[in-house]
Amino acid sequence: MIRLENLSFRYRAGKEPALRDLTCRIRSGELVGLLGRSGAGRSTLAATLNGTIPHLVRGDLTGRVRIDGEDIRSKRPRDLADRIGFVFQDFEAQLFSTTVPLEVAFGPENLGVDRSEIARRVEWCLSAVRLSHLTRKAPAALSGGQKQRLALASILALNPKVLVLDEPTSDLDPAGRRELLDAIRSLRQAGDLTLLMIDPETDEMAWADRLIVLDGGRITMDGPPAALWDHADALDAMGVKGFTLSKLARRLGLAERWPDAHAAADGIRRGGWQATPGAAERLRAGDHTRDGGEVLLELDGLAHRYPDGTQALAGVSCAIRRGEFVAILGQNGSGKTTLVKHLNGILTPTVGDIRLAGQSLRGQPTTVLSRKVGLVFQNPDHQIFAERVWDEVAFGPRLQGLSEVDVRLRVEEALDAVGLTGMGEMDPFILTKGGRQRVAVASTLATKPEVIILDEPTTGLDYQELHGMMALIQRLNAAGHSVIIITHAMDVAAAYAHRVILMQGGRILRDGSARDVFADAACIGQTGLTPPPVVQVGNRLGVPALTLEELVGELTRHAGGQKANSAEAPPGSGASDVGPWTSRA
Amino acid sequence: MNLFLYLDRDSPVHRLDPRTKLFLMLGSFAAAVLFFTPAPLLLLLGILLLYGALGRVLGNLRRVWGLLLSIAAMSIVSWSIFAAGTTPLFWRVTREGLVYGIGAALKIDSMIVSGLVFLSTTKTEEIVLGLIRLRVPFQAAFAFSLAIRMVPTIIGTVLTVIEAQRSRGLDTESGGPLARVRTYTPLLVPIFLHTLRNTDQLAKALESRGFGARRERTSLLTIGFHARDAVACILGSVALGLFAAGRFVW
Repeated sequence: MIRLENLSFRYRAGKEPALRDLTCRIRSGELVGLLGRSGAGRSTLAATLNGTIPHLVRGDLTGRVRIDGEDIRSKRPRDLADRIGFVFQDFEAQLFSTTVPLEVAFGPENLGVDRSEIARRVEWCLSAVRLSHLTRKAPAALSGGQKQRLALASILALNPKVLVLDEPTSDLDPAGRRELLDAIRSLRQAGDLTLLMIDPETDEMAWADRLIVLDGGRITMDGPPAALWDHADALDAMGVKGFTLSKLARRLGLAERWPDAHAAADGIRRGGWQATPGAAERLRAGDHTRDGGEVLLELDGLAHRYPDGTQALAGVSCAIRRGEFVAILGQNGSGKTTLVKHLNGILTPTVGDIRLAGQSLRGQPTTVLSRKVGLVFQNPDHQIFAERVWDEVAFGPRLQGLSEVDVRLRVEEALDAVGLTGMGEMDPFILTKGGRQRVAVASTLATKPEVIILDEPTTGLDYQELHGMMALIQRLNAAGHSVIIITHAMDVAAAYAHRVILMQGGRILRDGSARDVFADAACIGQTGLTPPPVVQVGNRLGVPALTLEELVGELTRHAGGQKANSAEAPPGSGASDVGPWTSRA
Repeated sequence: MNLFLYLDRDSPVHRLDPRTKLFLMLGSFAAAVLFFTPAPLLLLLGILLLYGALGRVLGNLRRVWGLLLSIAAMSIVSWSIFAAGTTPLFWRVTREGLVYGIGAALKIDSMIVSGLVFLSTTKTEEIVLGLIRLRVPFQAAFAFSLAIRMVPTIIGTVLTVIEAQRSRGLDTESGGPLARVRTYTPLLVPIFLHTLRNTDQLAKALESRGFGARRERTSLLTIGFHARDAVACILGSVALGLFAAGRFVW
């Protein structure tokens, strides 16, 4: 059992405390989800549980953490390793061995565990995370999902009673994410492991026993997921995404709790709602106003083979028009990033050609192309180097040889566009991840490209930052820039993109309007991706909606339907009539 | 992209004790520095290639091919131009300078091939175990293995940062020395900070795996000095002896 008693912590460089007088108790065998905006204190709280705070990260810690009654203040993480396991977001940094079994063996070796026992544990842990078939592989050669499962196995081998997972799925593609969550689920069934998991996807935490919401270093909500169901708005206010389906239930005046889209569709039908006749046609008609610009980028039979022999692209043809907003979707390794790296000349096609405004990109250097096609990399920390935001954003325009007067104009315009007006003097490194992401976008924007490509622009951002970033991208698109994003966030793609390109195995599997692609559940399923909950519900009800608003707008209540709670009743008032859902069946 | 060199194969070289392979590698280095003329170095390179073929890891040569060729070309060109000699061939290039350049190229390439075979056939964990048996403290041996591990990670970071800055219009390929220096800051700062952050992450990950928790550490891997190691060491010593003796002939 874990007890936190009046726990407060302030980082050495921090002005505000990261944790404020936190008291709570976590029982053995519980699965607890930690929710909160970035900076709410989730990771800080997690880091106090194994002594990372205060031993590896300095600051003022007051209060107590007790594990099974014992105060752990004097214990370093390594002393607690056989009790508290810790899995990090960055799976690359957690793996350092030459083979898969040696990675798992490293922990027990450090604890001086007997050799035959280590061998037993290696075998058990690898089978628990379903990696037994990969014992001859190098950890570096595994996929992201496999790497994170290996990191999990390497912690399990220490036989901890408590497992802390700090955003373990944030850097994974949807398939890797599902693999990891499946492994965690089966671990739960196998033993009485206590699990504490930080995950920004509230919708995917419905299977937890308990959700704790943090805001400003304090616990603001604490209870079973079903108890949080009715508080979608309060969660939104705390920068936490509420359950999508609960928002839907509320908008339709239904006091029901649904574990998944299937149950939601049934519940909505039972409540007397159905698709308004002509819904699909109306929604599709609205889409047509969106295209019509001239062709800007033309990809013609594009293929790329890396020097090590990997065929990353195997014949990609498509055209991107001016003013389009395109989302490229697909699992890792499907060729998305390789594809966009061709569009500004970083990579040259092995076969095929790309034309920008009719002119072949072959032989044009990236330095020149970058003025027309701006590519924002996934991690802003791979490019930020200046001590002032201003200089960072001015970097591109200066390289173009613009006069300082023009540079100033461009920088101010770009900072305005990303919502960093007047922040030019700040040190980019003290900004949040979302802030640094904005600086990176601004620095590309300042070069005034016609096409802006963003690789995973929302990774690592919390719910509010995510929508801030997407609203920004939407504004850029409305201002005339063609936008291409690569993303694993299906709800983002559905809500913002006009067009979706679905990739698999270096080929385009499907290319069409976001509405048509998301309505084709079979095709999306083929890539192992899952449409967002709203789209799934809509598909079941015959409404090809992409957002909650669209879905609600195209549903009508028929008179003959079963009498549901009247729409005036405050949502949640019927909570006592509906039991908590059982999603862990 | 896998940037690690080790190839998990079952070969006679893989089965050798890491200490034996370390000895053979150092022996080949010694043999390489003994000579300045191409003939014996060519022989040494041939032996090393055979050794690599026996270990079934010559495929890894592909990955350092560019490095080997560019070192050879640079060495041959620069020594041809700058080394003095008595038999002019053309322009200011002399026969002696050219031969010396070829020798130097073979010398460096032999050492690279030797190191490559060692790292391709030996797990870093085996190197650590071998070093411990040679009385190197575990912490130092492990730090060495981490350094080897960090190289591919850092190369990966460098490549990504270069691509990210080129995408912003940075010209990393042309320009005079002054322009070049100016391109370094946008590359070095993110590379340095990213590596620092990685190291910090690694430290936390190591701690959470109990690194340093106990003085006595166990090991799943075992190494041992067998008859085949004795044979390999004797063969290596004889070869080194012959090379040393040959030093007086060539």
